[in-house]
Amino acid sequence: MPEPLLLTEALTRRFGALAAVDGVSLAFEEGRVHAVIGPNGAGKSTFLNLLSGELRATQGRVRFRGLDVTRATPDELSRLGIGRSYQTANLFPGLSCADCAWLAAQSRLPSSMRFLRPAKGYTEVGDRAARALQICGLSGRRRALAGQLSYGEQRQLEIAMMLATEPTLLLLDEPLAGLGHDEALRVVALLTEVARGRTVILVEHDMDAVFSISDTVTVLVDGRVLEKGSPGQVRSSAAVREAYLGDEIA
Amino acid sequence: MSFSLVALQLINGVEYGLLLFLVASGLTLVFGVLGVLNFAHGSFYMLGAYLAWWLSERTGNLLLAILVGLPAMALIGLLVERLAIARLYLRDHLAQVLLTYGLVLLFNELQRALWGNDVHGVATPRSLSFTIPLGEAQTWPAWRAFTALCCIAVAIAMRQVILKTRFGMRVRAGASNAEMVEALGIDVRRVFSVVFSAGTALAGLAGMLAAPLTTVYPGMGESVLILSFVVVVIGGIGSIKGAFLGAMLVGIADTFGKVLLPGFASAIVYAVMAAVLLWRPRGLLGPAFEGR
Amino acid sequence: MRRRILLLAGALALGAVAFSGDRFWLQFLGKAMIGCILAMSLDLLVGFTGLVSLAHSAFFGLAAYALAGVTNRLGLVNPLLTFPVCLLAAAAAALIIGWLSLRATGVYFIMVTLAFTQMLFYLFNDSPALGGSDGLYVAERPVDSRAAAYVAIWAALVLAYLLLARILRAPYGRVLEGIRGNEQRMRSLGYPTRRYKLVAFVIAGALAGVAGYLDATLYGFVNPAQLGWRQSGLILVTVLLGGKGTLYGPALGALLLAFIEHYGERVTEHWNALIAALIIAVVLFLPRGLAGLVEGGRRA
Repeated sequence: MPEPLLLTEALTRRFGALAAVDGVSLAFEEGRVHAVIGPNGAGKSTFLNLLSGELRATQGRVRFRGLDVTRATPDELSRLGIGRSYQTANLFPGLSCADCAWLAAQSRLPSSMRFLRPAKGYTEVGDRAARALQICGLSGRRRALAGQLSYGEQRQLEIAMMLATEPTLLLLDEPLAGLGHDEALRVVALLTEVARGRTVILVEHDMDAVFSISDTVTVLVDGRVLEKGSPGQVRSSAAVREAYLGDEIA
Repeated sequence: MSFSLVALQLINGVEYGLLLFLVASGLTLVFGVLGVLNFAHGSFYMLGAYLAWWLSERTGNLLLAILVGLPAMALIGLLVERLAIARLYLRDHLAQVLLTYGLVLLFNELQRALWGNDVHGVATPRSLSFTIPLGEAQTWPAWRAFTALCCIAVAIAMRQVILKTRFGMRVRAGASNAEMVEALGIDVRRVFSVVFSAGTALAGLAGMLAAPLTTVYPGMGESVLILSFVVVVIGGIGSIKGAFLGAMLVGIADTFGKVLLPGFASAIVYAVMAAVLLWRPRGLLGPAFEGR
Repeated sequence: MRRRILLLAGALALGAVAFSGDRFWLQFLGKAMIGCILAMSLDLLVGFTGLVSLAHSAFFGLAAYALAGVTNRLGLVNPLLTFPVCLLAAAAAALIIGWLSLRATGVYFIMVTLAFTQMLFYLFNDSPALGGSDGLYVAERPVDSRAAAYVAIWAALVLAYLLLARILRAPYGRVLEGIRGNEQRMRSLGYPTRRYKLVAFVIAGALAGVAGYLDATLYGFVNPAQLGWRQSGLILVTVLLGGKGTLYGPALGALLLAFIEHYGERVTEHWNALIAALIIAVVLFLPRGLAGLVEGGRRA
């Protein structure tokens, strides 16, 4: 079996006495869509924040392509090819869609410490940004201000910005949260397309989506791994059902 | 340096630190709860001192002046909060810095118009004009001891109010999440007003207590303001405990600095601040998360 | 386009004054233009990066004192020698102070820059060897005539504007814009934001140093009041007054403030209160400054 793209070893994060993530050891294979689900307060978002470098682990390790990235900062992780989208729109409200995508794409230049040539001159950046917007269906909204987009469009922009950084591993934090049925379907279709050839770790509540696009599903409860397996396995697991008592698992 | 000299400097340092704590606690409270950076805080210190002088000249008794002056300072704080500060709650840092900077200029002009450019001495009340002997050679002026005791009393009172009363709970809640508090139906504006006028009164009290020690002069708020900013940075914004720690550190460092290295006394305090920041960018006891 | 024509006209008008020979205007507008350089360089930090720095006057004063130092102590007068030295001094100070200050964020950052500027103020104010509160005379200025100094200031202003405008259009400028908008997002996009902020701090500090050098050249005199937080505060005022984040706005703000300060002094003894009222009024009622008026509703 090929070495996993991302590996966590007894990853733990404590807030005072509470362990939000408690000794989680998981392997994520390359090229697959891995969902992480669990009841509220299970530690899913904390786990994702640990992977994206925004939270520091109390204990344990994270390895990306064998490299120890436990102490890496978010910008270092991004440059290694780990992209992240956020649950609540984390955009540049005063900038247009095109400019938001541009900033994301520009991050792939060897260095942005360029002072003399106008930014527009870097056509490869513009192309990358335009492509990301196009994949996410936002080409028509290039000039619209990010702060004025609809909720669903903001989600699309979130994903576009992530794509423009050309990541190999995508960390998606509840991309469907708060979306209406149609918008959710659109985003799921987008995610399916985007997942092609990439590795995805998806934290979600929407079970339909999770089971339709994921290759593996991990269930977290109280910061610990309860079960990991194929969607079918997890769906039929009694332990998982019990953990979700009261929550709809479809 | 003889032992009794060191002891004296230590006492002076602690006493200076206690006064700084009074000022800095007001600053850190206002910042922690209201989220406003208030440059005019030093002006309240100055106003307190001028009020103490002016009232003690009229009444002949400094203690009486302080008793009358304190509520006056609280009232001034309330007015300033309602008229000016309240407009800053939704604004950015630049607006806060500049508005309060404008207030500083305004208060300076006000002071100059009312009381002129002269330096004024303030007499300590007769009842507290004795000295306390310390060891063989040194003595400690009673007014200084009184000042220190007042500061300690205020510190304890503040702790009790914030930790043990319902109002204190609202203050702490407002400090962490004002929107949530408002959603719960608690009038956040009232909390803000009270906290701001309390902060003003604290700075004013410090000025009144310091008046006999430093004399009363234009611009006296400035150095205190900067030092209290240093204290708040060292201690961590919003933390009263941190303000206490920072004030002690700064008070002692400054006092010893002035004695040991007269030319570089000011620099020592800033060096301490730089060192603390290198170690703890949010101050010794500042908020753990990326807050305001 | 209209804006560009207006700026060009303004620059030419200012340049033409050099030929007037009028002593008052050369001095007054020379000083005002120095304020413009200070304002624009601070706008790089405040308006474009979102960093409110109170240390700006420190670099202004340091370069001025550096000129006094190398001229009085080392006998250097030639601007080709003194200018690079003073510029380097300001830039080096900006690097050190910037590196330390940027370890803090938000309000901490503002307070730390305040503390550093005061530290330098006290250093110069309390040391008799450095001139003390009276300040120092520059034994021999790099440029003799007032007109020549004026031209140098004018050239510096134009070059500073062109340089800043260039930088802001380049990829670096985009990064600053992103940092101002949402720094945390920039980091998760792969930008080591602190580095970019530090560079902005150094560029701004260096330009402030240029202004300080020119100021010492114009007046032949340096004093500690140039270094304190009041001075920094006034520069911030010009930025807000003119309109932060527009580059040309703060320059306008500096010009306006220069006129108000000058004529205000004549009108009333309490002109400080006038300035205070102006500041408060601008903060409350004209948050986008003069540029906001000029641009109308176009700017989002």
